[in-house]
Amino acid sequence: MSAAARKLCMLGDFGVGKTSLVSRFVRSTFSEKYLTTVGVKVDSKEIALPGRAPCKLVIWDIAGRSHLDALNMTYLRGASALLLVADGTRERSLHSALNLLMQSRSLLPDAVVVVAVNKIDLVEQWEVAPTALVELRRTLPVFETSARTGEGVEAAFAEIATRLAA
Amino acid sequence: MSMLDFSAIPARVETYLRELFWQRVHPLLLSFDGGWHLRDIHGDAAHYGIDSSNPTQGTQLLRDLFIGLPLDEPQDVPFVELDNGRSAHLHLIPDGDAFHVLLLDAETERDRRRVQQQLGHEEALASQAKTKAIGQLKQIRSELERQHARLEEAHALKNALIATLSHEFRTPLTSIFGYLQLIDRRAKDEPTIREALHAVRRNATYLFTLAENLLEYGRSGSAAPLLNPTPVDLTALARDLEAMFRPLAEEKGLAFQVTLKLDDATEPVFDEVRLRQILLNLLSNAVRYTRHGEVSAELIWRGQTFSADITDTGIGIAAAHRDSVFMAFNRGGHAGSKGAGLGLSIVKRVVEQMRGTLTFDSEIGRGSSFRVAVPLAKERIGTHAAVALAPRFWLQGRNVLVADDDVDIANLLQALLGDLGFRVRVVPDAQSAVLEAMAGRPDVLLIDVELSGLSGNAAVYKLRSRGYKGRIVTLSATATSEAREAALRAGADHYLTKPLNVEQFVHVIQQAASASWDGRSDEPDDA
Repeated sequence: MSAAARKLCMLGDFGVGKTSLVSRFVRSTFSEKYLTTVGVKVDSKEIALPGRAPCKLVIWDIAGRSHLDALNMTYLRGASALLLVADGTRERSLHSALNLLMQSRSLLPDAVVVVAVNKIDLVEQWEVAPTALVELRRTLPVFETSARTGEGVEAAFAEIATRLAA
Repeated sequence: MSMLDFSAIPARVETYLRELFWQRVHPLLLSFDGGWHLRDIHGDAAHYGIDSSNPTQGTQLLRDLFIGLPLDEPQDVPFVELDNGRSAHLHLIPDGDAFHVLLLDAETERDRRRVQQQLGHEEALASQAKTKAIGQLKQIRSELERQHARLEEAHALKNALIATLSHEFRTPLTSIFGYLQLIDRRAKDEPTIREALHAVRRNATYLFTLAENLLEYGRSGSAAPLLNPTPVDLTALARDLEAMFRPLAEEKGLAFQVTLKLDDATEPVFDEVRLRQILLNLLSNAVRYTRHGEVSAELIWRGQTFSADITDTGIGIAAAHRDSVFMAFNRGGHAGSKGAGLGLSIVKRVVEQMRGTLTFDSEIGRGSSFRVAVPLAKERIGTHAAVALAPRFWLQGRNVLVADDDVDIANLLQALLGDLGFRVRVVPDAQSAVLEAMAGRPDVLLIDVELSGLSGNAAVYKLRSRGYKGRIVTLSATATSEAREAALRAGADHYLTKPLNVEQFVHVIQQAASASWDGRSDEPDDA
């Protein structure tokens, strides 16, 4: 049975680890080197869901921005889900992620949204307070992730797949 | 300037333009029917990593790219990174029931943008790192200030040690005075022994005063010294002063007199140690700086005020030194004086602490008269209750979850906590700690920071970010303030370092368990 393909866009400020999360999820690799993304890189991975048909996530890794411009809007069209990515060591990046969500809502009012606060392996340097995530969890599913160690990565994507299948 | 009229372009130029376009843009056109079946392919497929002999596989990406988009409308998706790493602009062009996908090379433009963007982002990240570094420098500065405060605290501790030691002098010296009197009475006919005894008494008195002064000096680090008022037997006090100073005065050929008037029926309540300190210092000075004549102390308890007039016919204090006589380490007060110069400064401070007054009259060559008046202490202060450690029965049946991957440490912690009456459960990693803590809600979570895999701090953060309200104690081998702050910032309530100080450990665990018991109203909010 072929998996239903759904478009997922990675959204977040630059340098938060969107590309690294995709690499970890799709290829189980991680690079310490920061290389900015220009435009978009599309990957896909099939996720098995217990008791359901598998789900194929077509992941659009979009160049990092703190706000959405016309180009980003072009990339977002047709997306069923958004993985908002923030960097725990930069509190501002969490604000950017939420700002991007608000801007994207006009185009994607029904998209499944999950938040990944990345770099949990650097928790000693985190600026994002635990209480901030307590609040955020009241409205959105939040995962602390680490593209470096893989912590929370699979769970975040699986959450999206599960919600898409629901 | 008019638009370029393509029909007017010479054939040679048109050919040139076409070649240029093909070389630079590498157009690839794929034509599909409405069901994504490839009908035709034109152009450099290999340039985009598409195998012309098996193009269906290569075109899967294109299908993925247009998921969710209508195929009967033109689409333009710029800068798409393809499987072979090249960047292309993708255009979907509807054509009746079918459509075409046109790929145009964007590699050069992507590379140029990437360089600019990379520089911009790295600069922005560096700027943020710089801002953070400045913040950290500020933290370091405040840490230095804290260290300064700690040094002051250490200084205070040192003073407290001096105070304690000097306090300890008092008991044996009191005993020495008692036995000196006993021996003195029995050695009346032995002039040599009497002389020796006087020398011992003189020096013991001096040592006693010195010890008392040291005691007070030790207290000087304390911003708000505590008084310990107790009922004072003024008659005994007068008798002690008499016993202590009469022999010294008589040895110098001075008349000596201590009188006491008790005109108030109220029980006198004072900090006796301080009161003795005042009188000892004043009498010690009076005897020391008087060569001829007399020294007297007139003690009065009247109108709920204790007053003492210490008068001598000594060398006196020059008018020029009136202001400096109460300053510490001042020796200019009395002409030709010896000693540490602490006595009068201590007297002044102690009198002020007791909310009393200190005045004096003096004339060079004729003597001095110091007058002290101290009001009744308003309230008795009992012993200062130390913070009592909670009895162990409080802890019976409380739960502690220990997360440590070192079996020896885990066993040690289990044994210690078991002795305290806790029920202990041990898990070997942070992930289990998070799950167990959320499910089991222990009274205290004791977690090692340096766990392999997910760190203890990350586990604490994950718990707190899920609304976990239980008490958390972290244990770390890193004894730096930065590490401590990071742990507390992640959400720990206490930070202990290895090697374990057992007393501190017990104290912290008991504290955490008690707090946990008190603050159970807020249940964790699971995500």
